[in-house]
Amino acid sequence: MFIHAMQHNSELDAFRTEVRAFCTREIPPQVARKQARGQHLEKDEYDAWLKRLGARGWLTGKWPKEHGGLGWPPEQFLAFQEELGRSGAPPLVSFGPTMAGPVIYTFGTPEQKKRYLGDIISNNTWWCQGYSEPGAGSDLAGLKTRAVREGDQYVVNGQKIWTSMAHWADMMFALVRTDPNAKKQEGISFLLIDMKSPGITVRPIIGITLGHHLNEVFFENVRVPVENRIGEANKGWTYAKFLLANERVGNVDVAKLEAYLHQIRSLLEATREGGKALAEDPAFQRRLAEHEVGLATVKALMADQLAAARANGAPSLMGAAALKLRGTELVQAILQTGIDALGRHGMVYQSAALHAGWNGELIGPEESADVIYEHLYRRAATIYGGSSEVQKNISAKGALGL
Amino acid sequence: MAIFSSDERQMLHDSINAFLRENYAFERWKKLARGPEMEGFGRTEWAKYAELGWLGVALPEWAGGAGGGMTELGIVLAAAGRHMVLEPLLGTIVLGARAIEEAGTQAQRATLLPRIATGGLVLAFCHAEPGGGYARDYVHAIARQEGGEFIVDGEKSFALGAHAADTLIVSARLGSQAGPLGLFLVPRDAGGVRLNVAPALDGRLGATVSFAGTKLARHARLGDDDEDRLATIDRLIDRGAIAACAEACGAMAAVTEATVEYLKTRQQFGQALAKFQVLQHRLVDMSVSGEEARAIVHAALQALDDNAPHAQRAVWAAKVQTARAARFVGGQAIQLHGGMGMTDELAIGHYYKRLTLCETLLGDGEFYLKKLGVAAVACAVA
Ligand SMILES: Cc1cc2nc3c(=O)[nH]c(=O)nc-3n(C[C@H](O)[C@H](O)[C@H](O)COP(=O)(O)OP(=O)(O)OC[C@H]3O[C@@H](n4cnc5c(N)ncnc54)[C@H](O)[C@@H]3O)c2cc1C
Repeated sequence: MFIHAMQHNSELDAFRTEVRAFCTREIPPQVARKQARGQHLEKDEYDAWLKRLGARGWLTGKWPKEHGGLGWPPEQFLAFQEELGRSGAPPLVSFGPTMAGPVIYTFGTPEQKKRYLGDIISNNTWWCQGYSEPGAGSDLAGLKTRAVREGDQYVVNGQKIWTSMAHWADMMFALVRTDPNAKKQEGISFLLIDMKSPGITVRPIIGITLGHHLNEVFFENVRVPVENRIGEANKGWTYAKFLLANERVGNVDVAKLEAYLHQIRSLLEATREGGKALAEDPAFQRRLAEHEVGLATVKALMADQLAAARANGAPSLMGAAALKLRGTELVQAILQTGIDALGRHGMVYQSAALHAGWNGELIGPEESADVIYEHLYRRAATIYGGSSEVQKNISAKGALGL
Repeated sequence: MAIFSSDERQMLHDSINAFLRENYAFERWKKLARGPEMEGFGRTEWAKYAELGWLGVALPEWAGGAGGGMTELGIVLAAAGRHMVLEPLLGTIVLGARAIEEAGTQAQRATLLPRIATGGLVLAFCHAEPGGGYARDYVHAIARQEGGEFIVDGEKSFALGAHAADTLIVSARLGSQAGPLGLFLVPRDAGGVRLNVAPALDGRLGATVSFAGTKLARHARLGDDDEDRLATIDRLIDRGAIAACAEACGAMAAVTEATVEYLKTRQQFGQALAKFQVLQHRLVDMSVSGEEARAIVHAALQALDDNAPHAQRAVWAAKVQTARAARFVGGQAIQLHGGMGMTDELAIGHYYKRLTLCETLLGDGEFYLKKLGVAAVACAVA
């Protein structure tokens, strides 16, 4: 208990100042404007901003130096997230830096590292995650997408679903079945697939947000060079689990939590009951206080797990579970408070207002549509990256030995 | 107060649900909600509801109604919630009709109520104002009397169905900010009326409404004196709130059934998800929440029909309990559907949104909890 040294020093403060100054200077005005209004970014706007962060190495600051990272200690990564969140920067995208990258530098060949890591660091490539399938959600190892080896290529056939941002992605890291006769976890391989390959079709799934974030991805005789396989054939499950463990920690986005809390506070200022701001209502003050306790806890869990991961090579199972479970519940609780305020404006959902160029007349505070969008979208926080139920199953078995 | 027998209530319940099951499947819902007419509901459906007697279920018999009470309205609204009916029932047959019945003159009731029963009058209740939140007495709109007319100025918050209502029922202070509250019948197309039409979370349309020098004839006021209508408005909102709860009960039942069915068919780890005990418990918790809400809403409807002294507090308690249940049931329906629950294509997400709206319509759980708290302290002091 209380083993890992927590660093606090003036260097960290200087770094915070640097990040803040950078955000003020470098967030493009158009992006800042949209962020303030809670409008969605076009890919090129997003990309331009991420490239600026990438140019500093900050997207991958927590990677080890030998792989092109900055070797940030956990405290620094957390500080980075906090400052981004507070300065109204767009959220980070984790598919490359948190998911694909560490798998590639841990299990990849020298050629793979050379070929992919640089582009993740600079955000030259957008990645997506091809894990889930219609028949393989919680039971991921039941996946059916087939990859049959023909010479130095795999021929891939099948379907992925719920693929976030596949429509923006250049590359997908995918789990495919290479040995249909083995035990289900033992016949899976991990492939890096170019999304421009012939035979790939991306079809949008419209979400309850009324927005397009999710996709179905179909593979019809898609040829993938064998050199795009990570590690050994049929050992993909090992790499997949390594990635999932990172995803669970990486999925809790402290910057985003900070940003939400900030947004909800201003919503409570802007919303009145009987002429008085909700922010002055003791019941809402109590809820904000609860959220702050939650956020402090989640940050502490995060710091703990990042330190443990650095010291022991991996986060502790129960620690990671705590982070994933509580972090996702907190997101939902904060956004629930937002929704509760918006009920007072009639719970209007002008989803069209999320897009620049909409010239309708907003009802309620400026952030209304964004808060509703996020509230709806984050219903999935307890589903994606391993649902809460599955997370508890894994913890019961793995950590408690039940 | 005319009373339906239990058998009659059962028949009403069965016939509405049978009709909607036949004619209001989710595909139909989508067409109506997103149809090119931009009304967001079906006029043909509305006429049909009139023909089937639903619109008049709680209107007096002389007005072409069936003479039912709040419980009968509750049955209609629960069915509407179950099938996510888009037509403006709450604004017309609950809030609008009751406003006219309670505050209207003999002549106003005689001309307007029969039109509600036949489907010829769509109403919307425009009372809340920006800055007021759920507060019931927060009205800054003003109606000044000039000659034989009223001139109305002011702003109203988003009201469901206001975009399509023939007549808006609008609260305004008479003469000045300190004046008594009056209720007015304002034709939606009257001069100086401006609407900002928008979708609510659940896809139903409505509008905010502003009035700038809107001229109304003298008989556009409900009633013919300067009596303060706050008590009437208070009763109206209670009735609207319990109707929203009834709607939520229907929606909770439907979405729980759908989730049970889904888990029976969805296979993971080589078996149906319904076989996992945690999920069974969750389904039971959803069902229990639905039972609690149904029971307490039923009790409140009954209290209103009986004119019981505790009726108002029964309504508030029901709203608190139903809001909690709606949040839990709606949220778990998505959770247990996994990714499927997050799509626009399936009804599950739409139920979630409908339930979220019901939870907040005319005051959310926290709001009524606070009102109950204040009332409890007042009791203790008295
Ligand atoms: C918004 C969103 C974004 C996503 N992005 C991606 C992505 O980019 N790439 C990708 O590959 N996938 C993505 N996913 C998919 C996500 O990982 C799956 O939705 C998730 O694994 C659950 O699978 P499922 O949807 O098939 O639900 P199911 O597995 O069918 O589960 C349904 C419900 O049953 C519960 N359950 C299942 N098994 C058990 C059990 N044994 N015990 C108790 N309860 C159980 C689940 O917890 C859930 O509540 C995304 C999903 C969403 C909603």
